[in-house]
Amino acid sequence: MERELCLSVCVIQLWMESATRKLQGDTRAASLLQLKGEGGGLVVLLHDAASRETRKRSSERPAHRGDRGIIIMSAIRKQLSFQILLLFISCRNINTKTLGATAPPLDPTAPLQKLERSYVLKGDSHTEKVELLNPVSLVLMCTWTGSQNKPTNITGFWSKDGKEIENSRVTVQLENKQYNLKRTFSIASEADLGSYSCDFGGEAKINFVLAVPQMGDERDKPIVSYLGDSVVVPCKLDDSKPTPNTWNWYRANETGKEQIIAGQKFSIKNDEKKTKLVIHDLTADDSGLYYCGAVYGVGITMGRVELKVISFFEPLKPFIAILVEVIILVAAILLYEKSRSKKDYTAAGNGATDQTNTLSSGENNGPEESSSMRQRKV
Amino acid sequence: MILKLVISEWEPSLIHSHQGDTKEGCRDKRSAETLNERIMSPAPADPLEYKPLDGGWGWMVVIGAHISIGFAYATPKVLSIFFNEIQQDLGSSFSEIALISSIMLAAMYAGGPVSSAMVNRFGSRPIVMLGGLLCGVSMITASFGTSIIYLYFCIGVIGGCGLSLNLNASLIIISKYFLKRRPLANGLAMAGSPVFLCVLAPFNQYLLVNFGWRGSLLILGGLMLHCCVAGALMRPVPLPCKPPSYALEKTVEEQPNSGNTKLKKRFVKNAKKFLDFSLFKDRGFVIYLIGSIMFIFGAYAPIVFLSAYAKSQGVEEYSAAYLLSIMGFVDMFVRPGTGLIANSKLVRPRIQYFFSFALVFNGTCHLLCPLIKSYAFLVVYAVFFGIGFGMVFALIFECLMDLMGSQRFPRAVGLVTIIECFPMLLGPPAAGLLVDVYHDYKYLFLMCGSVILTGGLFLFVMNIYNYHMLDKERQKQVRASEVEMKLTPQAGTGQTEPEAKERNVALRDPENTETTD
Repeated sequence: MERELCLSVCVIQLWMESATRKLQGDTRAASLLQLKGEGGGLVVLLHDAASRETRKRSSERPAHRGDRGIIIMSAIRKQLSFQILLLFISCRNINTKTLGATAPPLDPTAPLQKLERSYVLKGDSHTEKVELLNPVSLVLMCTWTGSQNKPTNITGFWSKDGKEIENSRVTVQLENKQYNLKRTFSIASEADLGSYSCDFGGEAKINFVLAVPQMGDERDKPIVSYLGDSVVVPCKLDDSKPTPNTWNWYRANETGKEQIIAGQKFSIKNDEKKTKLVIHDLTADDSGLYYCGAVYGVGITMGRVELKVISFFEPLKPFIAILVEVIILVAAILLYEKSRSKKDYTAAGNGATDQTNTLSSGENNGPEESSSMRQRKV
Repeated sequence: MILKLVISEWEPSLIHSHQGDTKEGCRDKRSAETLNERIMSPAPADPLEYKPLDGGWGWMVVIGAHISIGFAYATPKVLSIFFNEIQQDLGSSFSEIALISSIMLAAMYAGGPVSSAMVNRFGSRPIVMLGGLLCGVSMITASFGTSIIYLYFCIGVIGGCGLSLNLNASLIIISKYFLKRRPLANGLAMAGSPVFLCVLAPFNQYLLVNFGWRGSLLILGGLMLHCCVAGALMRPVPLPCKPPSYALEKTVEEQPNSGNTKLKKRFVKNAKKFLDFSLFKDRGFVIYLIGSIMFIFGAYAPIVFLSAYAKSQGVEEYSAAYLLSIMGFVDMFVRPGTGLIANSKLVRPRIQYFFSFALVFNGTCHLLCPLIKSYAFLVVYAVFFGIGFGMVFALIFECLMDLMGSQRFPRAVGLVTIIECFPMLLGPPAAGLLVDVYHDYKYLFLMCGSVILTGGLFLFVMNIYNYHMLDKERQKQVRASEVEMKLTPQAGTGQTEPEAKERNVALRDPENTETTD
């Protein structure tokens, strides 16, 4: 629908443009945009290509805007070409917009869910996080209370990921001591996610960070397991986050990530907000990075787990070292005692027997012949 | 002159006893000499026994006991570091895994009487070495485990038994080696628990990251074999010569001395005797038991819930875990310090009051905790908690030794540990129940604090009564023995009242002296 409208308008524009070759470049049109605040009304009118409703809304809205636009068109002939160029630019924007959106919208016939996010800024800047699960039509509204001096008009524009969105510059008028910027975005795929900012004349900025729900704390320590053993690699989403549609597991290799398919070696157990990858018959090659992806409508959020496979000899070496040390210490202590008692024996004849008794079970009240003999053998 | 009287009394009996002893038994001259010098010493523990070393090789024994006790108390706690990994690999729930620690602690405490019986039979050294072997074997076999039941058995049962052997044998040998400096020795030995906790916790983390839980258990098993080294240090004390009646009794029993069946029968008899309920007739013992039950009931719950409470007050996770480390660190220094204070001339004769003071301090600390909201004050609380906890644990076995004397201590400690098993297992779940019902941690602290405080006050009051009764009895004996022209007791020489009482009773009437078998 929108495309058709756009095309028809474009045709008119081209025709008009051929008649007015004086105009050059978008920049002048941009500057004209500044002069004519009402131009924004027209732009909004056409930009709202998302649904019929919003279009109606914009036309229903300050009706005087649309009227003004028409009045201007009719009133000032010279400016007609400018206006048409305006349409041309906006049309181009629409084109890029519709093309730039997801290659195939999930369901072209079903209307996208609507979501509104707004923020009133009092200071210099602010960042707001927006968690998205499924494709939405997102309306972002920015309100700024203004700085010390409040000029009547300032330039506002939108940018995505730091780069200014084309033709998003508008002149914002001071209404009720506030500046308002509003724009609708169609978020349908991972490419549409990112950081959207509305900028008020370079003085104030509100960032909206659009993202899928992120994984919680990532394990920075690797899971260690042994050759031939089987290991369970878990991944968990925070309870506060919404349940993903499904989970995928990926293995990191030279070219990026490749998806793991369940089979004999791997089995995947999904349980709403948790997932487990079970790897059987570990080999040294299985060491490395594994990624679990929680799949939402609009994107996939990744978690990272590292697996380390070691052979059983690795802990065995320190263990044997400790064992040897313990045996040496025990032998040393017992030998020292025996040598000391022998010295005493040779030193004082009878009295020495008391010392040799130290090797027997001395603490009980009556020594057993057998037990003391046992001890002496030690 | 008085001493000569005593010796002349003993000499004929010595000759008699020599007949019943083994070939290498004590010789006349030597034993007489040793007894002589022993009686001359200011504070003999028991006329039936020898003079405790109170130094020399005794300090090596303290090191051995330190290692042994350290492993005994620290291992169940540090194993929890592995639980997350084990839980994932074996696929069981967290409560099932946490049961391993509980089984280990329960086995450690319940094995007390058996351990005491074995120590009395074989001496500390073989028992501690056996305990160390058992612990090592338990960890090594556990590293191959594939099911949770297997782990329950290996770590829980076998490991717990090994630790119980270690614990009791270490305590008993300290009571044999020390008398004058016993509180200090106890404090130093019990300090093993926080030291090993502070060392093993980060070490276990390191092992886990590098070797996984199986390799870590294997290496931990190797470390626990150091208990065998500790056992090697526990040289048995010199064999004492027994007075006639006692020895005659023994010889009658032991003369038909052949074959394993006799050994077994005697062992069974010993085992029965070590759940000796006649100890309950001792007033001091019952008072001590009630006090320590109340303490143990309230002692462990705050530790378990401290970091959860801190998190609920808005402290972040690492800082909350840090609180426990602070507590452990303070504990490390407080235990020997308390031992030193308890050893002083001022405190030693009335050490039971010091113990009750420590309990009251601990209880008050917990009662004040709910008022704390900020992290800085939580740190202060952790410090005071560490001080209180360390004081109580440094004294808990010292007081029992003080009450029982080294002869009865093995049986007493076995009985006390098996009875303490119940409050220890019931305390934290009861506290947890309070938290679940009221959704507020303050009731937990109030309960624990009030229980411990009541225990402390009970001990204090009852000990006033006990010391008063002991004084009265002592005066009666003094009068009686003066009449019979016997020794007057030496008071205020650092020996404790019950031991003086024992000594007098023994001197007056050897036949009625308490026997250990």
